[in-house]
Amino acid sequence: MTSRPRLSICVPFYNEEESIAPMHDAIVGALEPLGLTFEMIFVDDGSRDSTLAIAVGIAKQDPRVRVVKFRRNYGQTAAMAAGIEAARGDVIVTMDGDLQNDPRDIPQFLELIDQGHDIVVGWRHDRQDKLISRKIPSRIANRLIAKVTGVPIQDNGCSLKAYRAALIKRIPLYSEMHRFIPAVASIAGPRVAEIKVRHHARRFGKSKYGLSRVYKVLLDLMVIKTVATFASRPLLWFGMLSLPLLAVGTLALGYSLYDALASGGPISLPLAGAGTIFFASSFIFICAGALGELAYKLSDLREAEFSALTQRLRVRQRPLRQPGSTP
Amino acid sequence: MTEHFEATDISAIIPIGGRHDDITALYREYQSALAATGVNVEFILVLDGPRPEASEQIESLLRQGEKLTVIELTRSFGDSTALMTGFQKATAPTIVTLPAYHQVEAGEILKLVRALDSADLAISHRWPRTGNRWESMRRGAFHGLLGRVTGQRYRDLGCSVRAFRRRVLEEISLYGDQQRFLPVLANRQGFRVVEVDVRQSPRDRFTGHYPAREYMRRLLDVFSVFFLVRFTKRPLRFFGTIGASVFGLGALLTLWLVVDRVFLDHPLADRPALLLSSLLIVLGLQLFALGLLGELIIFTHARDMKDYQVDRVLEFPAKAAQAAPSGPIGVVARNDELRANSSLTS
Repeated sequence: MTSRPRLSICVPFYNEEESIAPMHDAIVGALEPLGLTFEMIFVDDGSRDSTLAIAVGIAKQDPRVRVVKFRRNYGQTAAMAAGIEAARGDVIVTMDGDLQNDPRDIPQFLELIDQGHDIVVGWRHDRQDKLISRKIPSRIANRLIAKVTGVPIQDNGCSLKAYRAALIKRIPLYSEMHRFIPAVASIAGPRVAEIKVRHHARRFGKSKYGLSRVYKVLLDLMVIKTVATFASRPLLWFGMLSLPLLAVGTLALGYSLYDALASGGPISLPLAGAGTIFFASSFIFICAGALGELAYKLSDLREAEFSALTQRLRVRQRPLRQPGSTP
Repeated sequence: MTEHFEATDISAIIPIGGRHDDITALYREYQSALAATGVNVEFILVLDGPRPEASEQIESLLRQGEKLTVIELTRSFGDSTALMTGFQKATAPTIVTLPAYHQVEAGEILKLVRALDSADLAISHRWPRTGNRWESMRRGAFHGLLGRVTGQRYRDLGCSVRAFRRRVLEEISLYGDQQRFLPVLANRQGFRVVEVDVRQSPRDRFTGHYPAREYMRRLLDVFSVFFLVRFTKRPLRFFGTIGASVFGLGALLTLWLVVDRVFLDHPLADRPALLLSSLLIVLGLQLFALGLLGELIIFTHARDMKDYQVDRVLEFPAKAAQAAPSGPIGVVARNDELRANSSLTS
């Protein structure tokens, strides 16, 4: 293996033929003065214009650029996941390919990572987008996301983020998750920092995201947060879910029995039946939990591995005894 | 197109199942049609379970010195498995699958192979088609339903004469009855699929009636493909929607019963509707739990299941433009490397 660069910049492009060359110039211009090794990964998300040809042209000139070409359009999360996967650096920075993020902010991100943060998130505090269709929904969504995840980030949608590579490469990314990687990553308990970044208005092309996404994003988020928290102990979790059912079942059955004994009449069929249904269902819930246990056991996801990625390790070593100095 | 290929240009796989015609005649027809153009073809015959008649004919073909690869399976595993078994022995960059009975005129097969210049999978559409109106209606209904469900419109999935590049089956592992739906699965995987009009073989005459069981199976097939295509990524969206509506129905019914009990003093113990309402509630919850379980499986295995297919990784000085001949090879290989790098102890 050749020497690993310090920094990998992952940029997804989807029909951004005008932006790609200025983007490359901007990144190089911002990073070269720092005197560190870096690479750029341009992910072509199945563009139908000449994005790929231009990217390949740049890669031919600049050995630091690698181009990952998708077979077709798979969306931004997939593009970021592919970029992260292909990256070789110790620190991975993701950003949009539409020039709205500014590579001149990257040094600040690096600084925060060096201070011991695992994830650094950009905050477009002076956002250059339409108010009604982009900014307001995004603000509401961010409030909700912060509430749900407990990670108080102002701006989840900002693509400019930096990660410690060892951590982000282990986090499962799918569906629309690039919008809340910090929340997903919270299964690993990372140290997250947020900094203000510059944000430019779109110079070329059209925006590809709109209002309709918010609902989907929120739904996804809730599911992922739930799953991420219970993934390692499904039996317990499903067991908890089954408790109310068990309670209702026991209550209905108990009451029908008591009623029958007290009045001396026959057991009420609807009541006892309903009780049995609830009772049986709580049982099936527990079985589902057992299946979940199996799924987790067969996967390669382990909490110990996450904790090892984010842990702070301090070992005070006892001074070694000199051989022969002991009596 | 012959000169730049090496040993074998085309591997032709023929799975031989319960329905098969005279193998000798069929083989001769395929062989002469394919060999006529000078391409180098290897034939792989997969006997799906003991088929005494076909075995005998293959024996005599072998005795006559025909170059064949014959695989005999001990029991009938079905067309998909037979196909995958044959594929494992295939060496050519282009694979052609052929049925063990007459479907298309042998001379038309090369049309499919040629179509691979601009596609990864070429499937045939028998046209013009013989057969009565009832059959064409049945076909129309099947393909229409599949089209609605998957968003992909095909006209003749029943024809198993297909040509494709190796990497299609290297990435898609067929099982069960999926062989019929290979185009749907391939398209979903990002491969380009084309339909080529081919002439129907004059001997392709199906005159019987399919038993009702067969219809049921097709319907279930469509359902399973629907599932595979739409909901393997986000199971909770599917189960959750159904679960929530069933639960809602149950909750409404319970609410009505409770109102009835509280205000009209109608004791719950006399209401059989209580059974229905609790059943609905419980069913809804359980569907939801199934969806959660699905999400859990996806989440814990997401690192192995890719949402995307990398066509190739282009990097310039050292390993110039490494095309991935078999799908996302670059990435898969690198994935393992990454795992090794980010080991916990470091």
